[in-house]
This record gives sequence, C-alpha cells and structure tokens, in this order.
Amino acid sequence: MSQQNEFNDPKKDNLLADFADRVMEGTAVQIASSPDEELVSLEKTVLRLNDAIPPASVDEASVKQMLVRLKARVRREEQAATPSLWKRLFDIQSNLQIGMILAAVAVLVLVFISVPALQPGGSAVSGTAFSGGNILIAGGLITVLVLVYFLSRRK
Amino acid sequence: MTTKYMEKPSNQVLLETADEALIQQFRDGKKEAFDLLYHRHLPSVYRRVRYVIPENDVEDVTQEVFIAALKSLPSFRGDSKFGTWLRTLTNHKVAEFYRKRTRKQEPLLAPLSDANAHTTGSTSKHLEERVYIQRALQHLPENYREIILLRFAEDLQFNEIAELTHQNLEATKSLFRRAIAALRTHLDD
Repeated sequence: MSQQNEFNDPKKDNLLADFADRVMEGTAVQIASSPDEELVSLEKTVLRLNDAIPPASVDEASVKQMLVRLKARVRREEQAATPSLWKRLFDIQSNLQIGMILAAVAVLVLVFISVPALQPGGSAVSGTAFSGGNILIAGGLITVLVLVYFLSRRK
Repeated sequence: MTTKYMEKPSNQVLLETADEALIQQFRDGKKEAFDLLYHRHLPSVYRRVRYVIPENDVEDVTQEVFIAALKSLPSFRGDSKFGTWLRTLTNHKVAEFYRKRTRKQEPLLAPLSDANAHTTGSTSKHLEERVYIQRALQHLPENYREIILLRFAEDLQFNEIAELTHQNLEATKSLFRRAIAALRTHLDD
C-alpha cells in the first residue's frame, strides 16, 4: 500500500521526466539539487544510464556499408542453403521426381542399345520408319516426355 | 513519358513512399524497395540493439533483425505499423541472443580485452559498466525495459511514447519513473 502511494506522485513523475529530457538534450550533466532524496537517487540512475550508454547516431556512409554487408550475408546464406546441381541430381532419396526421370532415361538407353541385338539378321537396309525398334524408342521417348510433363506440373 | 516515370520511380518519389507501399512494391518483385526500408529503419534498430547488446555483437544482431524481416515480409499482414513490427522483431532477436549465450554458458560479463577498449576509445571500466547496465536492463520487466529504450535508445519524446503505447502522458511518465526505480534496484543489487 505504501509502495502504491510512493509511486502515485505525478509531480515527481514530471520532475524525473523533465530531467531525462534535459539529459537527452545534453543540458543536464549534473543532478538537480532537490530535497527529495528519492528523486535525487533516480536522477543519478538516469545520469549513470546515459553516461554508460550515451546516445549514438548512424551516419549515411555506415548505413550504406551495412546494407552491402547485409546483402553479401544474405547471398552467402542462400548459397549455403542451396545444394549444388550434382548433389541435387544424385540425391535421389530426397528428390524422388528426379530419381524417376533418371530411371526412365536409363531404361530408354538400355532399350536403345539392345534393339539392334534383338533384330535377327538385321542389316543396314532392313530398318524402316515403322520398324519394331523405332516404335519402341518412340514409345519410350513419349513415355519419358509425358512423365517429365506431369512431374513438372506437380512441382 | 509518364509511364516511364511510373515504371522506374526516382529516389525522391521512393523517399516519400510510405512503408506499406514499399512493402507492397517489395512483394511485387521490386527488391530495391527493401533497400529504402533498410535506410529508413536501420538507425532506430541499430540504436535499440546497441543499447542492450555488447558492442562487438551489435552489427551482427542488427543484421539478423533485417534478415528476419526480409524473410517475413511476404507474410507481413500489416496489423501494426512496420516500425512497431520491426521493434518486436528486434526484441525477439535480442532475447534470442541472450538465450544462445546462456545456453553456451558464456558469462554475460565477458572478460573485456584491451583490444575492445582501444577500438572504441573507451576504458575497460566504462565498458564493464555498460555491460553491467545492459544486463540489468535485460532483467527488467518488459514494459519497464521498453519505456527506457523508447526514451533513451530511440530518443522519443514522452508524448510520442504515450501515443505509441496508447497511454496518456501522465501514465507514461509514471511508468518511466517506476522503470528507473526498478533499474536502480537491479544496479544496487
């Protein structure tokens, strides 16, 4: 209750606030002579605070330099967060879509390589636009393209 | 001619643009709008951080505030003013700084090297006093710490603080006296 009364003193509030204003303006470097010990003690605290951490300003050149450093830091953090292309390509566990594309391409390559071997007595003139091998390759290519299309849409 | 002007606003036009408009421009892909927000708000953020963080870490923490702002701007809803939002973000980053230090069990009053004293032109005793007061400020209740920061770090007048905190002037000055009294108690302990 007494503490409540101690703090309910608008006059003291105003005196301390005025003192703080003068300190910030630089016009009060000493405590005001007051019979109120409590007020004097609070003014001492204000002065102590202001002496330990005096007001400071940031000039325009410093702002610009700090902005440059901020941008460099953001770039560094972005680069650190983004894995390299090779890491992304081969990190199949974390990127199933790329893994599936790689698997499809691998199957296609296997089919392409094995097609001549599967054709008995194949010759340089035996191939036509509608030969089984070509249809297989075309089908594989279309499958890969459709797969890539749907995967890119899912992203 | 007019279209060209609108497409690429001059620095003067940007300078007069409100924070909210700059945020919208940033969201629309004009990254330079952030530069202006940075120029506009860095001084107050820096002064606030400098008031509560040891000198060697001031720039680092200040930059972290703006990096967090950069990441969060797309989701900024504008419920409060950008300055108020940035002030809250700054307080979070300062609290995070002290949490990390406590976790690492680094003493808050780290030994002050001679190098520190030379670079700032301050005496070791002065730096110790500064760290001691910063620690005391961290132990104050949030509303006490806030009014001290608004008055001393950001140099806002009491009527501006009253407006910002939606209080009347008398209540603001009363809060200020209680805050200084609480700080005195912490410093005397």
